[in-house]
Amino acid sequence: MAVRERVQPEAGKLVDMAWDPITRIVGNLGIYTKIDFDNREVVSCKSTSSLFRGYSVFMKGKDPRDAHFITSRICGICGDNHAVCSCYAQQMAYGVKPPPLGEWIVNLGEAAEYIFDHIIFQDNLVFVDFCEQMVKETNPKVWAKAQSADAPHAELHGYRTVADIMRSYNPFTGETYKEALLMSRIGREMICLMEGRHVHPSTVYPGGVGTIPTPTLFTDYLSRLLRCLDFIKKAVAMNDDVFDFFYEALPGYEEVGRRRVLLGCWGAFNNPDHVDYDYRNMDSWGNEMFVTPGVVVDGELVTTNLVDINLGIRIMLGSSYYEDWVNEETFVSRDPLGNPVDRRHPWNQTTIPKPQKRDLEGGNYSWVMSPRWYDKRTGDNLALDTGGGALARLWATALAGKVDTPFVKATGHSVQINLPKTPNTPEQTLEWNVPQWSNAIERDRARIYFVAYAAGMALHFVDKALNEVRAGRTKVFEDFDVPEEAIGCGFHEAVRGVLSHHLVIREGKIANYHPYPPTPWNGSPTDSYGTPGPYEDAVMGQPIFEENDQDSFRGIDIMRAVRSFDPCLPCGVHMYLGQGKTLRTVHQPMFGEHS
Amino acid sequence: MPNIKLGKAQVSQDEPAHTPGINQGNATGNYEKMSGHHADGTSSATRSTGVNPKAHEPIDPSMPNLSPA
Repeated sequence: MAVRERVQPEAGKLVDMAWDPITRIVGNLGIYTKIDFDNREVVSCKSTSSLFRGYSVFMKGKDPRDAHFITSRICGICGDNHAVCSCYAQQMAYGVKPPPLGEWIVNLGEAAEYIFDHIIFQDNLVFVDFCEQMVKETNPKVWAKAQSADAPHAELHGYRTVADIMRSYNPFTGETYKEALLMSRIGREMICLMEGRHVHPSTVYPGGVGTIPTPTLFTDYLSRLLRCLDFIKKAVAMNDDVFDFFYEALPGYEEVGRRRVLLGCWGAFNNPDHVDYDYRNMDSWGNEMFVTPGVVVDGELVTTNLVDINLGIRIMLGSSYYEDWVNEETFVSRDPLGNPVDRRHPWNQTTIPKPQKRDLEGGNYSWVMSPRWYDKRTGDNLALDTGGGALARLWATALAGKVDTPFVKATGHSVQINLPKTPNTPEQTLEWNVPQWSNAIERDRARIYFVAYAAGMALHFVDKALNEVRAGRTKVFEDFDVPEEAIGCGFHEAVRGVLSHHLVIREGKIANYHPYPPTPWNGSPTDSYGTPGPYEDAVMGQPIFEENDQDSFRGIDIMRAVRSFDPCLPCGVHMYLGQGKTLRTVHQPMFGEHS
Repeated sequence: MPNIKLGKAQVSQDEPAHTPGINQGNATGNYEKMSGHHADGTSSATRSTGVNPKAHEPIDPSMPNLSPA
């Protein structure tokens, strides 16, 4: 793994360039780079966050049954992923398994979330970097080529040239841009049907759901899904045409955002025929998930065992504004299987914030910690990334070869997706093959393929759910009692990647709670071993293809690299008001204690 | 605890969301108390709204007893 080297700026050669905050993402992500304009290369990169939130601090002492409602508020776009993951962790702690129909309803809600969120991010945010206006401004030669480049899949999407596709991505005016907004609305309607509300579900609870499973619920969902499928089939073909064109028009573009293949996926869509939420059986039911969990290192699938994945998680400091917790309490020394649990594991973490001045030259510079995964084969603490979520999910699922449903099948080297005939389009078979690189283009390409994957899975889940309803099994919630002492962990995939919630209950209250969403993994700063975080690693050393000179430099290649990870910082860190600002209480919606 | 200046807490951090003595929706045994929800996970017309549930049974025993869900 690359180790950060201190860069000595030489007069007139290296130029400091910073984007803080980066736009078209949520949160306060800053990217600070040193660019060598003579050699057209980024020499150094640091990823910072100036936002502190403190969920792990204020969750302590609360009723664990509130955890999914509170942690859902971590994010304004994938809050339902947090709610579901928290329910998984609570179900383990309470020892309760929801009825199958409840599980299918959660899976349907989550599939709709992947469809909605990936579409809005891809077509309304990522493709602004690939649209006519942007390419004209940053790479006029590429735009000239695009105008004469025939689109290979023109018969599928109706755009004759690559330039026509790029024109359709223009923000606010482009056809695809506008259609994607409509699709993301339909996706949100689908989530609301299953989970009561979007973004913070109102009918998802530990033990099941409160959704009333009428046949109409599922047919309403299905009719919306079929409308999305028409769009998805077209979108995959357009994505392939644009991304293949970039490789062709800009030789060497595969180096943009490229890093070693270090991918983590924590698995999604539990299979109610197998899952029992017992930690001791987690390896077995984790492997039955409809997105297989896994860690992929240098193209090799290291493990699909959720217990190994869990025990390998290490939370490092090194460049973050926190005090170490080595002298604080150890909450879980052994897991329910008797395996030792590390001091740096989220179950044992205590968050001790230490605000300070940002120091990008060898000091601390971010509120994000540095999650790493301990590879017991080599003893390395790996800076895994999620490939924007979709890349790691498809990669791990493809290599594991375990998923086999009527619509989606993992082959060991690829994922096949069969989409049925829909109102405006014929039946279509798509195949996502494991790519050569983990780079910006492949992260972006995987995103639209995963939308197709989620849609195929949703079709399967609708079938399964309707089978339950037709058989009369309408139970969607299982009763439980909250234990005095318990531990639990939930593994799920937020839209942009790995998501885990670790929970310790004592005296019926939360003693420790640590959500680890994808962006701390991707946006982490350099850790105590000197290992840079994935954004830093991906941008450092990447060539610059932008045609603009230093004075009108837009940093488009750097932005494409960073945005390919689908950055979303509010989940990256756990309120800072600045000096002298006073908060005034207007209303305090709490029972009791009106002091 | 962090060595930073904090404001005065407005409520204690473990202010209960649940008040002891009040029934808990999740508690075991609640499912059995609900009309129209059967032990085998199926349900019948009495499930309806919970208001006068017995009046929601089919008026003729030969009619199918369909759950509203």
